[in-house]
Amino acid sequence: MKSSTKKLALCAVLTALALGLSTVENLFPITLLIPLPGVKLGLANIVTVFALYELGALPALAILVARCLLGSLFAGNASALIFSMLGGLAAMQVMIGLKQLRGLSVFGVSIGGAAAHNIGQIVAAMFTLGNTMVLGYLPFLLAVSLLTGTLTGFVAALLFRSMKHIKLSH
Amino acid sequence: MTSRSSTVKLKPTVWDGVIAAAVIAIAVIVAVVFYGNKTYSGELRVVVSVGNRVVDTLPLSDEEATHTYCHNGYTLLVSMDGSGVRVEQSDCPSQDCVHTGTITRAGQSIVCLPAQIVVHLEGASEDAPDVIVG
Repeated sequence: MKSSTKKLALCAVLTALALGLSTVENLFPITLLIPLPGVKLGLANIVTVFALYELGALPALAILVARCLLGSLFAGNASALIFSMLGGLAAMQVMIGLKQLRGLSVFGVSIGGAAAHNIGQIVAAMFTLGNTMVLGYLPFLLAVSLLTGTLTGFVAALLFRSMKHIKLSH
Repeated sequence: MTSRSSTVKLKPTVWDGVIAAAVIAIAVIVAVVFYGNKTYSGELRVVVSVGNRVVDTLPLSDEEATHTYCHNGYTLLVSMDGSGVRVEQSDCPSQDCVHTGTITRAGQSIVCLPAQIVVHLEGASEDAPDVIVG
C-alpha cells in the first residue's frame, strides 16, 4: 500500500510539472518563429518520456490524459483539447511500442513520439476541418518534430543520468 | 523493481538514426504526394472553407478586396490582391493564421484552427502546362 500511495503522489507531482512546463511554453510561442499551427517545443513531453520509463505505461498515460484535460482548462481553449489529446495518445502509443525495441535509446523513442504527436494532430485537424488541405503542413511539422524530439530526448537523457542513483518508485 | 538505469539507453544509437530517417521519409512522401506532380496555370482561385463547407470561391484578380468570415466566435479579415491572399486580422488566440503571412502559389493554404477556417489557393486549370515553348 505504501508504494502505491507514493506512486500516486509522484503522478500528481509529475502532472503538475507537465502543466507548469506547458504554461511556460505558451508564454514563449515558437509559432512566432515558425508560423505553423501546432508547432510547439513540447516541453511537457519530457515529463511523459520520464514517466514512461520511470513509472511505466499506465501511469504515464494517466498523467498525459490529466495534463491534456487540465491544460485545455488552464489555456481557456477547449477546441485545442482534441488536438492535444489525439496527438498525445498517438505519441504515447508509439513511444510504448518503440520502448520495447532494445536497440533504441531515449532519443529514438522521443523522436518517434514527437512525430506521432504531429501526425495525431493533423488527423484531428482533418476531422474537425473536414478537408485534407491541412495534410500539406505535415512535412513541415515532421521536420520540426525531429528537432523538438531530439531536444526532449536530450533533456530526458540528462535527467536520467543525473538521477542514476535516485530511486523514485518503491 | 525494474531498474531504470539498466533498461534506458542514454546515448543515441544507430537505430535512433533509423527512426529519424523514417520520420524524414514520411515527411518527404507526404510532401511529394501533396505538392508534387501538380502543374497549375492561369488565374488562381481563392477557396475559403468555414467549418466543413466551402463558402466562397473567388478569383485572385488584380483588384484589392477584403472579406470577413466568422465562425466559432472568431472573426477573420481576409485580404487579397493580384499577388496573393493573407489573413490580415483575426481575434483568435493563436494568431497562426496571421503569422502565416501571404500565400501566393496554388496548393498553399492558411489554416485557422480555432475558427475552423481554411483559405486555400487553387489553380484554375490543373493539368495544363505552365508554359508552352516553340
